[in-house]
Amino acid sequence: MKLSELRAQLDSKKIGAVELVHRYLDKIQKNDSSIHSYITVCREEAIKNAGKAQSIIDAGKASPLTGIPLSVKDNICTENIRTTCASKMLENFVPDYNATAVRKLIEQNYVLLGKTNMDEFAMGGSSQTSYFGGVRNPYNTDCVAGGSSGGAAASVAADLCAAALGSDTGGSVRQPSAFCGVTGLKPTYGVVSRYGLVAFASSLDQIGIIANSAEDAGYVLNAICGYDSFDSTSSRASIGDVTEKIGADIKGLKIGLPKEFFSDGINAEVKKAVMSAAEFYENVGCKIIETSLPSLEYAVSAYYLISSAEAASNLSRFDGIKYGHRSDEGDSFNDNISHTRREGFGDEVKRRILLGNYALSSGYYDAYYKNAARIRAQIVEEYNDIFSSCDVILTPTAPTTAYKIGFQENDPVKMYLADICTVTVNIAGLPAVSTTCGYDENGMPIGMSLVGKAFDEKTILSVCDRFEQEFEKLEATI
Amino acid sequence: MKYIPVMGLEIHAELSTASKVFCSCANDFGGGENTRVCPRCSGMPGTLPLINQNAYTLAARAGFALDCRVNNYSAFDRKNYFYPDLPKAYQITQFEHPICTDGFVEVCGGRKIRINRIHIEEDAGKLVHDDYEGVSMADYNRCGVPLIEIVSEADFRSVDEVLEYVEQIALRLKYAGVCDAKMEQGSLRVDVNISLMPYGSEIFGTRAEIKNLNSFKSIKRAIEYEIERQTEILESGGKVVQETRHYNDNHGDTKSLRSKEEAHDYRYFPEPDIPPIFMTDEQINAIKADMPEMPHKRLIRYTDKYGLPEDDARLIIADKALSDFYDKAIEVYPNYKAVSNLILVEVLRNLNDSGISAENLQFTPKSFAETVKMSENGVISKNAAKDIVKILFKKDRDPKKIAEENGFLMNNDTGALEAVINSIISQNADIVQSYKNGNNKVFGFLMGQVIQQAGKSANPQLAKDLLTKKIMEQEG
Amino acid sequence: MFNITLTKHLADLSKIAFTNDELKKMTEDMSDIVALMDKVQNFDSEKETYSLEAVNYSDLRKDEPKPSLETEKILKNSKQVKNNSFVVPKVV
Repeated sequence: MKLSELRAQLDSKKIGAVELVHRYLDKIQKNDSSIHSYITVCREEAIKNAGKAQSIIDAGKASPLTGIPLSVKDNICTENIRTTCASKMLENFVPDYNATAVRKLIEQNYVLLGKTNMDEFAMGGSSQTSYFGGVRNPYNTDCVAGGSSGGAAASVAADLCAAALGSDTGGSVRQPSAFCGVTGLKPTYGVVSRYGLVAFASSLDQIGIIANSAEDAGYVLNAICGYDSFDSTSSRASIGDVTEKIGADIKGLKIGLPKEFFSDGINAEVKKAVMSAAEFYENVGCKIIETSLPSLEYAVSAYYLISSAEAASNLSRFDGIKYGHRSDEGDSFNDNISHTRREGFGDEVKRRILLGNYALSSGYYDAYYKNAARIRAQIVEEYNDIFSSCDVILTPTAPTTAYKIGFQENDPVKMYLADICTVTVNIAGLPAVSTTCGYDENGMPIGMSLVGKAFDEKTILSVCDRFEQEFEKLEATI
Repeated sequence: MKYIPVMGLEIHAELSTASKVFCSCANDFGGGENTRVCPRCSGMPGTLPLINQNAYTLAARAGFALDCRVNNYSAFDRKNYFYPDLPKAYQITQFEHPICTDGFVEVCGGRKIRINRIHIEEDAGKLVHDDYEGVSMADYNRCGVPLIEIVSEADFRSVDEVLEYVEQIALRLKYAGVCDAKMEQGSLRVDVNISLMPYGSEIFGTRAEIKNLNSFKSIKRAIEYEIERQTEILESGGKVVQETRHYNDNHGDTKSLRSKEEAHDYRYFPEPDIPPIFMTDEQINAIKADMPEMPHKRLIRYTDKYGLPEDDARLIIADKALSDFYDKAIEVYPNYKAVSNLILVEVLRNLNDSGISAENLQFTPKSFAETVKMSENGVISKNAAKDIVKILFKKDRDPKKIAEENGFLMNNDTGALEAVINSIISQNADIVQSYKNGNNKVFGFLMGQVIQQAGKSANPQLAKDLLTKKIMEQEG
Repeated sequence: MFNITLTKHLADLSKIAFTNDELKKMTEDMSDIVALMDKVQNFDSEKETYSLEAVNYSDLRKDEPKPSLETEKILKNSKQVKNNSFVVPKVV
């Protein structure tokens, strides 16, 4: 059911907010053990908040999300509810503040079902690096859910929430959405406040939405977007009602296909599905334009250098002194925090921290960090070029569909290369939405991404919705 | 001595803002541990820095105070290092694009000390060591207190130059309202880089850095000790090690702070949580237009234009409130020297005695100026003027009224005075005779008698003239 | 070119303790990763680096103090607290 329909049902009392939340909580209890999409389920608070929402609905004062049960990724701070980042380091961390996005949801009296599982500190594309155990794909529990917002995507795909907040630093909303057959929206950098999102890579991080459709994703984005004085990188530009163009005619729209995104590295079934989506658009009157993003070959390296450099710095605060895990070993400050960090972080996080410090350290900074920042400027320019002749860009969301757990998560280089389709969007700060455009021979979903001009969420959601209207989705098996 | 010391200074000055630099906690001094701390300044996950506009304004003012260029474009960087007083494990500072560059201060009669840059950064917290337990306790109240760092070139060649520079910087920052420059409270801290260069050479030696000097005395002693230490090393054929040294005030010496990691690698990179900051020319000019006159310019005005002796001028200028008071007083009564004299003699003494600071003076510059004017015009005596100042210190009133009520108005009635003098002369015939015989010393005694009987209102000059005349008229 | 000495140096910079076996494994991982990263060294080094769009001075936060968080809340997530302060092992 669409969120707007759910809203109508709640408002017309066809369904009660408490009844609705019980339906989800029961389903979580019954099904989540097989996919492990939640780290923390907020049962009591959810029921209490649903009751409160109902009284607001009864008073006729409902906002769009009043009484709507959502999940929130566990790297987004929630006051008095532990926020772990799926790390041993923050296993017992309970913030005294809400992320701005969460605060805006609370102002609408949404219902928080729980905090979703993820790759530790959002570093990964499989949601297998979680300290609390990996997430499984609702279409096939032997497969990964993607990551890092794997729990968020799985929670939506398995109908364990109405929609979910995730975070996207290099594809972490879009790729798991593709793997789990749902819609993932990464807004323009600065559209959603990062306050309260535990930073991975500040210049790339953006809170995003995972939902059942582009329209639903826009529905939630309308609630959480906007300038926030708590985040200096928050944008003052208004994106308006992002669902405004949904249902509008997209005839004549120019859709660019950058050829580098359809190279040999991309799985043939994926390519085929995305190309047939392009055909669909051509058939409804869009113009398909072959374009090029020549610097894509540098993108993965540049992305990993920038994101790891920022991560190394951002994660330095985890020393066990102020909060989080603290080792019993080591008598001196340096020894003690080195053991704390050894015990508190998983292998992938440690690799990123080492890589980041390598990229920043004296003697290597110019060769790595600085060159990566140059590539970033180049990629921004190349996107500008493309958008001088295109309205949106169509690419695959990931080179493959969801793979079997254990297949490649332990090979960092393979994992990094798998981010090729998504990272440039973060590098350039652009909005993008991923939706399902087909299924592979094993029935696993294939994702395509529509990338828009900065602050033009409206157009990509409209173009995405147009496809979703005619695409026949297969339900997840779980 | 065979060597010239070559020194450069880094001065950290705390900005007088109401809130901290990246969060809204109060920027204050004292108070209980961790009472001025929030999720932002304690580095809680997910929190973000929000730059204080006033910190920017004050840093720009510091720039103008030190004849720097204030840049349109400036940006923050992260300086990464682990230390328990630094909760984020990085300090937000300005590395590549500081707000101010290229300034200078003239010292010791015209030598120019170049200022390389002024940048904004955040202070760290405080550690209290518990030797018994072998641990430290971290208090983050000071985390995020806004600082500017003023970095000079290695242009100093003597201790005197260093001391005068620090003195000038402290005074200019106070004048600009940037920093209260209370070294004893740590709101102005000095790091000195020092190396020795053989006479005739132009190649600098290896430098040592002495950190966190917080008094003029310690700056002087630390430099002198360091010159001696490095001289001894060089004399004995050794090499000075590049390192950071700590000055111990009790021993008057410096000690190496050698840690495990000899060379710090701070891994600076652009702070991704704060966009670069742009100031338009209009904004920069508006800050410039709002600058008060700087003390070194004021000194020239006081000496060249007003003809005050340099020492007097410096004494007044050393206290901005006092100097502002002086400027307002001379607007009312432009007798520069007379106003200055009464300030230096009577106001300073009363300030010292009462412990009041000049900005809290109870009386207006106008009352003061009128007091000086009355004294200069012979309406009251110099002594009476001092007495009026004393009274003004308690409460501001019209000085004329004070003079009237206390009988300070000088009596220019010759008749009354003549009567007193006649009576004194007749009562002290012997002494008058002795004076006439050439014993000039006794004149003072006679004058004393006259003033005592005539009262404070007697015009001393008039009394003196009359007394002399009357004595001379005596038959002898 | 990536060797165990460099890994050790980075581990020290990163303040992460490793056993010798872990260091060896990490060196292998890092060698592969850095080989991928080396790609950026082929890029045109004349190009200006990326930076965030500047904000105007007038948009900065106004200097108005607000109440801090209560001391107990600041300290509540810490494992070791004494005298309203965070207890830290000695630096040296």
